[in-house]
Amino acid sequence: MKFNTKDPAANPAGIFYKRGTIDLASGEISMADVPCRNLEDVLGGFGRSFQDLAGRKIETAYCDENPLIVNTGLLTGSSVMTALRTYFSGYSPIKGSKVGRPAAMWSTGSGKFGAKLKWTGLDELIFENRAEKPIYVVIRESEAGPVVEVKPAAHLLGLSTHAKIMALQQDYPDAHFAAIGQAGENWQNNYMGAVALSTENQLKSKEDKCRFAGRGGMGSLMGYKNILALVAQSSDKPGKLSSAVKRANLNVIKGGGSARIQPLSRGGGGGTWAAYDVLQEFNAVPLNNFRPQGNDLPEKLFRENVECEYDIKSEACYRCGITCHNNISEKRADGSRGEFLAKFDYEPLNLLGTNLGIHAAGQAARLIQLGDNYGMDAISLGVTISYALAYNQRHPQSTILNGATFGDYAKIRELIIQAGEGQLPQIGQGSMRLSASLAETAYAYHVKGLEIAAYQPETNPGYIWAIAGGHMSMGSYGLLTREGKADIESWVKGITEDKLHIVGFDMIGLCKFFDIAKGIGTQMVVDCLKSEFGFEVSIDDLRAAVRRAFLRGLALEFRQGYTKAEFCLPAEVHENPNPHIKLPNITSPEFIAELEKRVWQVFEPELVGLLD
Amino acid sequence: MKINVKLIGLFQTGRFKQQELDYPVDTKVQDVFADLQLPQQHFGFALINGIHAARDAVLAEGDHLVLLPLLGGG
Repeated sequence: MKFNTKDPAANPAGIFYKRGTIDLASGEISMADVPCRNLEDVLGGFGRSFQDLAGRKIETAYCDENPLIVNTGLLTGSSVMTALRTYFSGYSPIKGSKVGRPAAMWSTGSGKFGAKLKWTGLDELIFENRAEKPIYVVIRESEAGPVVEVKPAAHLLGLSTHAKIMALQQDYPDAHFAAIGQAGENWQNNYMGAVALSTENQLKSKEDKCRFAGRGGMGSLMGYKNILALVAQSSDKPGKLSSAVKRANLNVIKGGGSARIQPLSRGGGGGTWAAYDVLQEFNAVPLNNFRPQGNDLPEKLFRENVECEYDIKSEACYRCGITCHNNISEKRADGSRGEFLAKFDYEPLNLLGTNLGIHAAGQAARLIQLGDNYGMDAISLGVTISYALAYNQRHPQSTILNGATFGDYAKIRELIIQAGEGQLPQIGQGSMRLSASLAETAYAYHVKGLEIAAYQPETNPGYIWAIAGGHMSMGSYGLLTREGKADIESWVKGITEDKLHIVGFDMIGLCKFFDIAKGIGTQMVVDCLKSEFGFEVSIDDLRAAVRRAFLRGLALEFRQGYTKAEFCLPAEVHENPNPHIKLPNITSPEFIAELEKRVWQVFEPELVGLLD
Repeated sequence: MKINVKLIGLFQTGRFKQQELDYPVDTKVQDVFADLQLPQQHFGFALINGIHAARDAVLAEGDHLVLLPLLGGG
């Protein structure tokens, strides 16, 4: 980026980002230094990409006019802790309105690809049209600026996410990679393709320890465009660690904000996995397609019950001191570490474990690994399969697919393989389409076409207003369970004021664990921006930019044909309240009606003119 | 007074899962937390008889107190 101002809020046009545009049909590549339109453009990520997506009228995700935008955030590649994010944006194959138009979507992940991309000198890539044959794209630094090359990729076809990265590493030993798996290659029948991002740990250990930009099928869009992988080749340029950034980084580690995510061995909370223990107290761990039964089955996947049989190693992303990864490996008879299996985060573990009736850690790990290797979003995959299992439970005489039921590991595994290979569109196209085709939509656990995260919807009506998937674009999942808020006022305030700010991290290039409770409108971020770029920007400026970006997402949903009636939770939540969940009922039709009225009263006036 | 204390997740490490403990009248949630030497940075929230309670909530004879660490998703 080029900075000709210190005041990005008042004078965004004084800041330019480097954009490369690749026309995949013609092979033409162009570079431009683009002036920023506003602070959202400066921050980057979806704050910028959604403005570009808003400029296009897209009727179907798989069309040449739908771009794939790959960009970074302002701080990606800086010395600020967690600054590793890459963003993939486009109109989504899986999330869409009932009139059939695709929703604008972004997905993000860590790994080191984003930093490497930034260090090539490029801030954004826009892929137009589609390539005739499979390709991969190399972005490398040169003395004359970033260079982009398109290369044939027939040799990568059919390989898993990890195998593609391993193959590319042979040719580009100093690079990092973003790759799709077979799921993305089979985009016609699989709308939930993820993009895998290589990690230092993966490239050194040769173990399949990628990170993923999973949500919304951006890997499938990449597959449609015939892009199998991206290679970012540059020297490492993490920058000097200023005293301000050092203070911020120390605060991330010592200040308590990330304490629950850090390893138990360091006095941390043990990662997101620990959510199991907390939610189980309320019988709110999703089980058998989001129908917890008030029993102790979820406890089988508690850490204390897993660590007797498996090796658990705490590991970290590049230069990140949070160390949130809980990597599970086989434990040999002598107690030493065996084969690496999977990373146990709360979402994939629950949605490919307990919520499928799988309570053996080794089986859950294998399912997570399988989904990762095929390159599918663990949330959409798990929830669509749990829907199919629930259907079969309700229709034992007329089951669908292979007749799999809850807990049937072999058959569930078969479903994942078939979906990943593109042989099972019923699963690959997500729960909204599958449930509509079976005319039983009440227990399909998606909101606006995108499967929900592993927090019971009974505990989180905020899902309704999330713009890019349940928990990571509306941070209200703990408002009832953690904060005990069951009144309308708290929920209106939470949704319309505080909890939407979680999306700020998906602009600036930081992981949410940097400061998940407060967002990016903090003195800590202000100090980092001053230190890294000399910016004079205020907390209010940052919060205003995040709010505009969030609201633009809502406005885009309406533009793509969503009606207010589609802003709703799965009907089962209201029609058949779960008696086992030990929390106040905040999803009664009356509560939701009042919440909708109040939230729209706040949001609606602010949506006017946002897309003009 | 007798308080039935249940610890969740990492709070159990080196302590217990559930135990009946004796405390003087007017004991608050935070007093139990301190007495058990639970790590302050991990205090998430407390439930008294299933209802969310503030740190300075006063306990009563026979209360069932649950102490939970922070909840974080991802």
